[in-house]
Amino acid sequence: MSLIDVAGLRFRYAGAADEALRGVELAVDQGEFVAVVGANGSGKSTLARLLGGLAWPGEAERAIVCGHDLLSAEGHLAVRRDVGVLFQNPDNQLVGATVEEDLAFGLENIALPSAEIARRVEEVLDRFGLRALRDREPHLLSGGQRQRTALAGVLAVPRRVLVLDEPTAMLDPAGRDEVLAAVRDEAERGLTIVLVTQEMDEVLLADRVVALAAGRAVFDGPPRRLVADRGLLGSLSLGLPPAAEIGLALLERRRVGRLPLTLDDLVIALQAGRA
Amino acid sequence: MSEPATPAGTPTGPREAGLSVACEGLSFWYDEGATRVQALRGVELAFAPGTSVALLGPTGSGKSTLLQLLRGLLRPDRGRVLLDGLAAGQEGYDERERRIGLVFQMPEMQLFAATCRDDVAFGPRQLGWSPAAVDEAVEGALAAVGLPADRFAARHPYSLSGGEQRRLALAGVLAMRPGTLFLDEPFVSLDPASRRDLEAILRELRGGGLGLVLATHDVDRAYALCESRVVLDAGVVVDAGPWRFGAGGEDLLLAHRLRPPFVVELWRRLGRRAAEAPPELAAAAEALAP
Repeated sequence: MSLIDVAGLRFRYAGAADEALRGVELAVDQGEFVAVVGANGSGKSTLARLLGGLAWPGEAERAIVCGHDLLSAEGHLAVRRDVGVLFQNPDNQLVGATVEEDLAFGLENIALPSAEIARRVEEVLDRFGLRALRDREPHLLSGGQRQRTALAGVLAVPRRVLVLDEPTAMLDPAGRDEVLAAVRDEAERGLTIVLVTQEMDEVLLADRVVALAAGRAVFDGPPRRLVADRGLLGSLSLGLPPAAEIGLALLERRRVGRLPLTLDDLVIALQAGRA
Repeated sequence: MSEPATPAGTPTGPREAGLSVACEGLSFWYDEGATRVQALRGVELAFAPGTSVALLGPTGSGKSTLLQLLRGLLRPDRGRVLLDGLAAGQEGYDERERRIGLVFQMPEMQLFAATCRDDVAFGPRQLGWSPAAVDEAVEGALAAVGLPADRFAARHPYSLSGGEQRRLALAGVLAMRPGTLFLDEPFVSLDPASRRDLEAILRELRGGGLGLVLATHDVDRAYALCESRVVLDAGVVVDAGPWRFGAGGEDLLLAHRLRPPFVVELWRRLGRRAAEAPPELAAAAEALAP
């Protein structure tokens, strides 16, 4: 059963000459982790906003997310409750004077009883490793801590889908690792995830990758198949992760038998080649 | 003043010799409501003319603040900036300050003109250059960023791709013929192809003698583009100088929320000398399979 079932999805920004989305097809099953990639301007962020009910689709053959029809006024609003969206810059998403207040904000907005709010805040403080930071002011935290707080705020409200729009782009390497670890944990807990990213090594974390070009989905398959298709990668303005870039040169020189994608793969392949 | 010919692709016209940028005891506080937050604590640095330096540090370490202080967009609370040995207020300082080209984070957000030509011409016109000098500067800068004037000058900036818009914003800075270029997280939010294009442009500019100060989290690109690095954390310069891999440089980066470059990590894992890891991936592949 697909949690996201979208076909022929179109969208045009007010005043724009061209459509940002020109008939996108996307099906995501319960519990899947799907990466969305594409060049700047390919429509990735627009798709993320539409899936989260943050923009109104222009038209679509079908636009069902968590059972809500995005084309209807009620569905477009109701989907915001089931789909959490995390953006690139946590500072645009943090509102509380302390971490704890920030985590309660979304829960207060949906008018939960205060005992239930307190219970959920405690739960996400633990789940995202924020307990020691609960009384801290979010703007004084590290980038990774701020983004984890924003993520915990999004997921304090029970969600069926998490949409992330380049969530690590502004973070230092340690912050990036923290946020990716949290996203992987959520994936393992069975949350359905759509990760928009420019980072090819993040693509490798996903079960499946969808590539957009000029507002259309032009690839849908396993990450390894995308990475192996040099022509497609080039036409999509994508690249290889560094291990695969070195690995490709080694593959061409028959130093390795199969394209390594990660540092571990590459080290193992080189050591096997030497043995 | 006689000038050596500039290599093809760099901004045309006379570019004076590089610029030395230094600071002494630089401290700065931001007002956060009633409290004051110290962003920089007694920073001492010196960048020789024409050198390429990576400014590394975790988010919030003070990198952007430091760039803005050196460029004179913020005033230090303590300490001073020295440009070619001159302090603010001394004759020749202001002219040197203008020769630091600062490319902000997400600079394409500041594109405003109706054509690429007018956007890039804005700076030179503000400097009061003659129309002929403005035209020459605009065409040179557009060429340097791979947006040749014959194809791009008349286009609307918003009709460009995201990567092209960022390069256009860079052209706007290059048109003013900086002696050194400060870039604040220039690769953030670009797709991989656009990052490669920008990296190649920066390498070309560096080869033409332009000094680079690159504030970034992208340690791989910092290592590929810069001959030395400064590590800043909580407003303090933790270390400045050559990369020092194999001699504690890796741990230093890890201790400050950074990581060693991919090639350095690969060399270490393969039991090779980390100090000899080639900065570029192509060179690494060549070394592994000659």
